[in-house]
Amino acid sequence: MSEDRLWKFKRPEWLNSVWARNAGVYAAGGLFSLAFYTLLDSAVWSKSALNGSTLHVTFVDWLPFIFSSLGMLIINSVEKARLSADSFSYSGSGVAWKARVVLFLGFAALAGGMAGGVTVFVLKFVVPGVPFPAMTMGVENVVANALVGLSSVVLWVSQNMEDEYSYNLAL
Amino acid sequence: MPTAGLKTIIALSFVLAVGFLLVILSCALWHAYYPLLVVATYVLAPVPNWICSHCANPDDFVESSGAAVLDLGRFCTGFLVVMGIALPVILAHSNIISVPAMVMSVIGGLLIYGTIISFAMFFQEEQEF
Repeated sequence: MSEDRLWKFKRPEWLNSVWARNAGVYAAGGLFSLAFYTLLDSAVWSKSALNGSTLHVTFVDWLPFIFSSLGMLIINSVEKARLSADSFSYSGSGVAWKARVVLFLGFAALAGGMAGGVTVFVLKFVVPGVPFPAMTMGVENVVANALVGLSSVVLWVSQNMEDEYSYNLAL
Repeated sequence: MPTAGLKTIIALSFVLAVGFLLVILSCALWHAYYPLLVVATYVLAPVPNWICSHCANPDDFVESSGAAVLDLGRFCTGFLVVMGIALPVILAHSNIISVPAMVMSVIGGLLIYGTIISFAMFFQEEQEF
């Protein structure tokens, strides 16, 4: 826990409790739910009678969210202890390197989802100059992908408290 | 841990009844029965936590696999709790239910969920090992 850490900035002391860790995981679930229902809201609104325009939410609008969620799943499937410890290599050599490649793929999917959301927003809504009640569908797409990113950040930070957590329990 | 007596049970059941009343009223007054989904959501919300806490082995806290299952349960519970609030908001935004119905079903759902949570908190002692 000294200089082999992945991130170099320190977290504040109050974060190192079981309570803060559990609250972080709950908050991550809530943020992901918020992201999903933001996007669902745009889809339901697009089908409802309030949508006067000819624009509708199609599969293309869901694709960035699917990529973001996939990236979040990949990131959180990587066991955090593998990232900094190259020493206990019972599954071949260079476990940390492999874990970092998988983690890179996860972050790439997450960032790709975010970029895809912005792309859909720009190409489908900004460039044709859609007026505002229908423009909300594009804004909600960007917001949903940003919330998925925020959710995975919260989940990542709270799962990194794990070593302190198990240390407290071992005492 | 506060002691759970007869008054607690009566108060909790009263709050639960008020919550159900609000949700059912929000459906019946406007003849749109979508807010009933909120009740199902909040009843289902603690279920992932319970299942995952039974799946995780309580003996080895140091083992990371148990903590991962617990985290999955907490993630799903957080998802469902926010879903209970987000669902009426979506329905009201698309004019499927009216805004007063949304407010009533959100308040009723929160009362129901608060009852479930405080019930689990008050009567946890019997399940302790």
